[in-house]
Amino acid sequence: MATRAATQPLGEGDSIAARAASIAGKLDTTLSIETPERVVFSHQLAGPAVRSAAYLLDLLIRGAFLFLVVIGLSIGSIATGRFSGVEAGLVLVLFFGLEWGYFVVFDLLLAGRSPGKRVLGLRVIHESGRPITASESVLRNLLRAADILPFCYAIGLTTMCFDRTFRRLGDLVAGTVVVREPRLRLRNQKVRVARADVPGLPPRPRLTREELAALALFERRATRLGQSRAEELAEILAPKLRARYGLGKVKGVDLLLGLLARASRS
Amino acid sequence: MIVPSQPTDITERREAAWKELDQLLEAGRLRRGTASEISRGATLYRQVCRDLSRASQEALPPEVITYLDSLVSRAHSAFYADAGVVWRKWATFIFSDFPREVRRNWASIALSMALFAVPLLVTLLKSAHSKAFAAQMLPIEMLEGMAEAYAGSLSDGRGPDANAAMAGFYVYNNVGIAFRCFASGILFGLGSAFFLVYNGAVTGAVVGYVTGAGSGTNILTFVCGHAPLELTAIVISGAAGLQLGQALLDRQGVGRLHSVWQARAAILAQVMGAAVMLLLAAAVEAFWSPSPVLAEVKWGVSGLILLSVIGFLCFGGRVREAGR
Repeated sequence: MATRAATQPLGEGDSIAARAASIAGKLDTTLSIETPERVVFSHQLAGPAVRSAAYLLDLLIRGAFLFLVVIGLSIGSIATGRFSGVEAGLVLVLFFGLEWGYFVVFDLLLAGRSPGKRVLGLRVIHESGRPITASESVLRNLLRAADILPFCYAIGLTTMCFDRTFRRLGDLVAGTVVVREPRLRLRNQKVRVARADVPGLPPRPRLTREELAALALFERRATRLGQSRAEELAEILAPKLRARYGLGKVKGVDLLLGLLARASRS
Repeated sequence: MIVPSQPTDITERREAAWKELDQLLEAGRLRRGTASEISRGATLYRQVCRDLSRASQEALPPEVITYLDSLVSRAHSAFYADAGVVWRKWATFIFSDFPREVRRNWASIALSMALFAVPLLVTLLKSAHSKAFAAQMLPIEMLEGMAEAYAGSLSDGRGPDANAAMAGFYVYNNVGIAFRCFASGILFGLGSAFFLVYNGAVTGAVVGYVTGAGSGTNILTFVCGHAPLELTAIVISGAAGLQLGQALLDRQGVGRLHSVWQARAAILAQVMGAAVMLLLAAAVEAFWSPSPVLAEVKWGVSGLILLSVIGFLCFGGRVREAGR
């Protein structure tokens, strides 16, 4: 498991964007995973709030299911005019199964998603990014009995709040994390800002990933900003860039967009 | 000089492939699809991986990167999933690993047994002699109810319906107790120790009180069938909890979490084994223990069950050494 490089030392020459990314790495709730294809992708971790919501949803589903079964059995015994202990026994076994087996069964059937998690777009995965195995699921769900102590998952929620990847005790023991896994749809918003060409810039400026991302973000925002505000924002980064490329008085917005245009020209 | 903007053309060129992978994923075709679908999915997955690498290197809009991130992570989950539950593996787990781990962890089993049996014997002896002592431990109404229940002999049994209802109760209650006894061991073993002492003391108080009320033979004849399975399983699950605490405290030069991870397969084998024993115990307790057979037969069967439990734990999963 490779976590986002948040701790690399930053020197004097580092860009502002790199500094920002470094701070974001400490604050961000992401988990980066390197696949065998040598690609790094990141998961958004699920926090206590959304996980509580998913748990309540699962509780509701189990409650409703049990309620329906009890109603069904009651109608059955009223209709036949006799109540047999077999039904009471079945309800108790069902109760047991719903308490201890519900999450394990759905973890295996739906690859780490209980119905509540599925609705809210969450999934339990192993820290290395692979789906969880049966024994990991059994451990993480057995340990609920400790997380639930002394009431209302107090221990589990406290542990989650102190852990960088929001793990409760069951997750710690099983080596699992809960991530957000929304099925996103790509909305094709084309950014149409006129990028000024700034003479004096290198034909293919070498920018770091973070710097490129910052410039791209700026470009997107610039479309919705007033001119003076855009200029104000651009001036945060512009002096450093002017110094780097030895440019005189070129407007901040032009400089940033021009740099982006040259850097992303393919 | 104004140049026209460069739309992120990678999105335009690649979008169809991304959507195709997304649809394969949503339909679950990467896990349950035909060979050609899985092969197509694999090709698409590798392409999307490459797209994600490029997207991060070039200045693509952040939401495209987020989209690709989520697509790659979903495909990764689908491709690198476990093969599912392998039942044969679980059978080995219960029939070989479980008794082996019990033997290997004999020290924590012994400690767990002491934590359970000592309070049990103390409260049993004290409650047998003093009703007031038992009443301090448990509500007197409950104790009187128990004494009344065991006052009559079991000569006419309980009836199959009541047996079935009780079977459900024993599964729900006893297996639940064992699981809690184990899980609370993550609190540095303290939770397991607490539950062991507590359950031992309560059991002792009930048996002691009923014995004091003059129905000692009845209650012992009732419990003798399932006790060897049930009590052993509670002790083992408590011991698994103690091992969890031990792994946290005595970490043998590795981090606390790694120490737990090293111990967890052994611990899980014991908990699962104990759960199976408790399911058997529930069946015995519900259908055999209340049956109106002679006390001598019940004690004979109890002895057999005890011997099989000991035999299984001592010899189960042993492999003959080569050359002998």
